[in-house]
Amino acid sequence: MVAPGGAPALMMDLRTRLPGLDLEARLEADREVLVLFGPSGSGKTTILNIIAGLVRADAGEIALEGQVVFRRGVPGAGRDLPARARHIGYVMQQYALFPHMTALENVAYPMGRAPDRLDRAARLLDLLAMGSHAGHRPAQLSGGQQQRIALARALAAERSILLLDEPFAALDAGLRDRLQADLRRLRAELDLTVLLVTHRLEDAFAIGDRLAVVRKGRIEQVGPVGDVFRRPATRGVAEIMGIRNLITARVASADGTALTLEWDGLRLEMPHVPDVRANQDVTAYIRPEDVKIVYPDRPLSDAVAHNVFDARVTSHHESAAMRVLSVQLENGRELEVRFPALSYRPIRLEPGDTVRVALRREGLLLLHSTDTGAGST
Amino acid sequence: MNALQLSGLITAVATAGIVVIGLPLAWLLARRSFPGDVVFETLILLPLVLPPSVVGYYLLIALGDAGPLTSAGVHLLFTWQGAALASTVVGLPLMVKSAKAAIASVDPALENAARVCGSGEWEVFSRITLPLAQRGIAAGTVLGAARAFGEFGATLMVAGSIPGRTQTMPLAIYDAVQAGRYGDAHSLVLLTSVLAFFSLLAVARLEQAGATTPAHGAPAGGV
Repeated sequence: MVAPGGAPALMMDLRTRLPGLDLEARLEADREVLVLFGPSGSGKTTILNIIAGLVRADAGEIALEGQVVFRRGVPGAGRDLPARARHIGYVMQQYALFPHMTALENVAYPMGRAPDRLDRAARLLDLLAMGSHAGHRPAQLSGGQQQRIALARALAAERSILLLDEPFAALDAGLRDRLQADLRRLRAELDLTVLLVTHRLEDAFAIGDRLAVVRKGRIEQVGPVGDVFRRPATRGVAEIMGIRNLITARVASADGTALTLEWDGLRLEMPHVPDVRANQDVTAYIRPEDVKIVYPDRPLSDAVAHNVFDARVTSHHESAAMRVLSVQLENGRELEVRFPALSYRPIRLEPGDTVRVALRREGLLLLHSTDTGAGST
Repeated sequence: MNALQLSGLITAVATAGIVVIGLPLAWLLARRSFPGDVVFETLILLPLVLPPSVVGYYLLIALGDAGPLTSAGVHLLFTWQGAALASTVVGLPLMVKSAKAAIASVDPALENAARVCGSGEWEVFSRITLPLAQRGIAAGTVLGAARAFGEFGATLMVAGSIPGRTQTMPLAIYDAVQAGRYGDAHSLVLLTSVLAFFSLLAVARLEQAGATTPAHGAPAGGV
């Protein structure tokens, strides 16, 4: 998403060692919402703090709008601009509103001594539908209202780069939707580059243009949100994204049209993948929605013409819309199966029942071969 | 100058010294760590527990003929300025302790937010840290001033008890009792007690107001 010929709005390449965190991260973002997604403790907030100039990295480089604001331990003149000179808008995790100032004074704070600061701050409050709370202190405002004041304060500095740390964490669903819509609109109107930290995948889908998966201080994968979700690069990413049904197998044959996997005694057929050869160890996965239950008394449709196995139901959960089964295959491995609650009504699916399942051929996907095997299984 | 005026002058000068020296020290100890910081803090707080005569003895050496100030041409022994210095030294620990706790209780994230908003360190301190720590700092100032006002032992050692020049209220009371002028002693004791009572009352008010105000945000119009 880098504009042709121009430097990206934000570029960072960092290494740092902190207590409990060994960070090594490279990122670029330009006029988009880049979501940093990962479990707590993975280093997301630290990355924001380093960019903002509140934590100093051991080595690396940060450039904002083409200007180097930090450079240390790498070729080039050393630089470390203080936070106040980095020109970034930053909404911190607990909003960090100044408790002794009104909402209006908070928003006007970054405007220094400009004579029209209170007018401009009032307009920003109106923009975020907070005009009627201008005179209130943060303690008198709800979490969502505080969040909007913090966002207005970050926008008040008229920075082109905005860092948001879990901005939707304390909000109920309705308010979250509204704020996400506000943020998308403001990003487009003001042509901002937004780096947003979250541990909720829904936020990434709702607001992100691209997704960077952070795990143990490393950026494991960066790409358009849907791509990363559909094609996780590593087992670590797949686990973080909540992907079930990871299959550790060996390629039995690869003939240019299909792959056959040997999975603890079962043979799985899946579409051809370039550069995968026989006898290679691979990790595949299949979404629970792509594991189908086979009617014993009906002819096999195309969707379930391959990879059909006997299985035993080990657990069964049902919500209004979805049913989720765990089934154990003949090779002892468990799979999760998900389907709309009204499907398969004629089939008994209680724990202990035997069913036939089909792993949809096109639903089997390989994790990228860059997997370093850092997964837990 | 009578004893009350002299005490007022010395307390005012000492209080100014306590604030000017104590506030930066409190900020330093609350917000920065450096090698030997704990030892440094302990040294500052030492006058709290040392007998006043020991503090006075150190000051006597520092201000005496062989001391650094005398060789620099400053003679403070047996002057009201010397008494003010003694009062500053004994009052300082109370200020440092109270202000340090108040500054440390200000959420560093607020200071960082101000930095990101473009504030330099002085602006961060004056617009964020100081207003949020003001109750503790005010309490420390009152306590330090009260201690400076009541200073006796160290003052006696370095400034003597020269009526009209270095004889403060506490020294005048001692002098009156020694000389059997109980009438004088009574009125001076009463005056001192009233002043001490209202100082402590002010501190209690400050602490009470601080306790009923959540760290994050006083309701508008709160006392």
